[in-house]
Amino acid sequence: MRSVLCFGDSNTHGQMPGGTPLDRFGPQQRWPGVMGRELGPRWHIVEEGLSGRTTVRDDPIEGAHKNGRTYLTPCIQSHTILDIVIVMLGTNDLKVRFNQPPSEVAMGLGCLIYDIKELSPGPGGTIPEIMIVAPPPMLDDIKEWESIFKGAQEKSRKLALEFEIIADSLEVHFFDAGSVVACDPRDGFHIGRQAHENLGVALAREVEAIGWANEHD
Amino acid sequence: MPDMRFAPPNPLRIADRASGLNAVSVRSYNERLLLSLLLQNESISRFEIGVKTGLSAQTVSVLVRSLEQEGLVAKGEAQKERGRVGPPTVPISLNPEGAFSVGVSVGHKHTDVVLIDFVGSVRFHATLPNPAPDQNSNHSDFLETVKKAIELLPGKTHERLAGIGLALPEPGDGAHNDPTPPDLRYSALQEEMENEIGFPVFVQNDITSAAGGESMFGAAKPLSDYLFFYLGAELHSRLILNHQIYYGNSSLSFDVGIASLERNLQEINKPTEPLWDRAGTWPDYGKIKESWEASLVEQMKRSFNALAQFVEIKTIVLSSYAPQDICGAICENLESSLIGVKAIAGIITPSPKAIGAASLPFSSRFMVENKEK
Repeated sequence: MRSVLCFGDSNTHGQMPGGTPLDRFGPQQRWPGVMGRELGPRWHIVEEGLSGRTTVRDDPIEGAHKNGRTYLTPCIQSHTILDIVIVMLGTNDLKVRFNQPPSEVAMGLGCLIYDIKELSPGPGGTIPEIMIVAPPPMLDDIKEWESIFKGAQEKSRKLALEFEIIADSLEVHFFDAGSVVACDPRDGFHIGRQAHENLGVALAREVEAIGWANEHD
Repeated sequence: MPDMRFAPPNPLRIADRASGLNAVSVRSYNERLLLSLLLQNESISRFEIGVKTGLSAQTVSVLVRSLEQEGLVAKGEAQKERGRVGPPTVPISLNPEGAFSVGVSVGHKHTDVVLIDFVGSVRFHATLPNPAPDQNSNHSDFLETVKKAIELLPGKTHERLAGIGLALPEPGDGAHNDPTPPDLRYSALQEEMENEIGFPVFVQNDITSAAGGESMFGAAKPLSDYLFFYLGAELHSRLILNHQIYYGNSSLSFDVGIASLERNLQEINKPTEPLWDRAGTWPDYGKIKESWEASLVEQMKRSFNALAQFVEIKTIVLSSYAPQDICGAICENLESSLIGVKAIAGIITPSPKAIGAASLPFSSRFMVENKEK
């Protein structure tokens, strides 16, 4: 049995576009569930999506628990052994309250990569496969969220390149979710049911493409 | 002192997104390692790349992604292998349009110019009389043909020309009566080509080129150890061990090749033009051809048996300018008298030497020096 940790924000949690964290797609509809279906029964999927999660930032308004970095260590240690850690974060770092350029968001992601490598939760204490997934860019119209995310739309379009640069320099896997899905117009930054399906299938193919030795268990 | 873990990111590849091929110096050893595997195998999965190179899956991932962006490799459809437990594998192969190369072979009677793509398909071919042997200013036809080959490349793919390979005969090959050593004769040609055409030119002995071409794109692709014969005006040989072409100090050749058949035919006033047409067929030359073939095969057996005292070789590859049915018959003849040995006729057309020459820019620019496999 292999294990994959899906570490993300509301788009990993499965929050419906235009809804609240309580309006959530079902386990089979969220991308981690779709990916699990595609990978088959030899894979164990761990879902860790928190609405409002940032890469490395305590949120002064929503709370310090939104900081992805502080939660990453207990989270990973809770779920070892992990063959692969998929991280899809970055959108919440673009909130006005953080005032960060896309490159700084990528630096935050770099911290998470270092932390995962240091924790080495892979089989036999090795570094697991790490896959950075750049979130799809926000739409221009983000409805009532405009004040919270002012200016984030433009920045969100630059995340994929910045993330790929950090993934490249730290030698981890990279996938641009924007290449297969777009955000839903109902709020402009969450992904809809079909997008979850498409993303789950695409990520399963990416995980398979890494190539895995036959297990002997 | 800042924590260097959090210094600005230093991407290996991604920041360099030029549309053409990257400069030679930029290509890392690991990239060459990966491209070598792809040039030696039709397709290969990322997992197999990791096993064969010892690189981690994440490093392979970064390399493949950057080579994909550069247009050199393409991802195939996922395949479920029979009998294999676990997820399907995704093969990776070279993108035929990823790079092009021009090969020029200056032969016994004429010069062949080919343009090939990254998987060795011939996109253009022309045959010309040999360039004038004694001066540097009389190659205009020759240079024009090379330029024409380059112009055939669609649009922006000019930036994807890896270079020009030049296959030259060496002194001692016996086919040239010119007293000036060919290496001197043609060094001016190489320089002139680089200056005139503006692409890197790579020079190699022509028999070694033919062996290299057959190894990279032809019948010898899956083979690591074999004895290679080239049947041209004379008979030449090379030994290939672990994908390496051995080319010793001696460039011994035997006068049992097509030139000897030509002489025999001329004595009885038979037409000899078809002898030099790779794409054509030979007329029925009857007994003359039979006895020529017998002496040719006899020499090949002698070479093989001499070598067999030192290394165990199970395969012979015969490349030639002669038509494929002629080569096929020679191979059958060989197999029937050398028990347990497989003799394979080369499959590269129209000109094995020119296509081998065209493979040289690929191996120089994309492969590691000591092919590991």
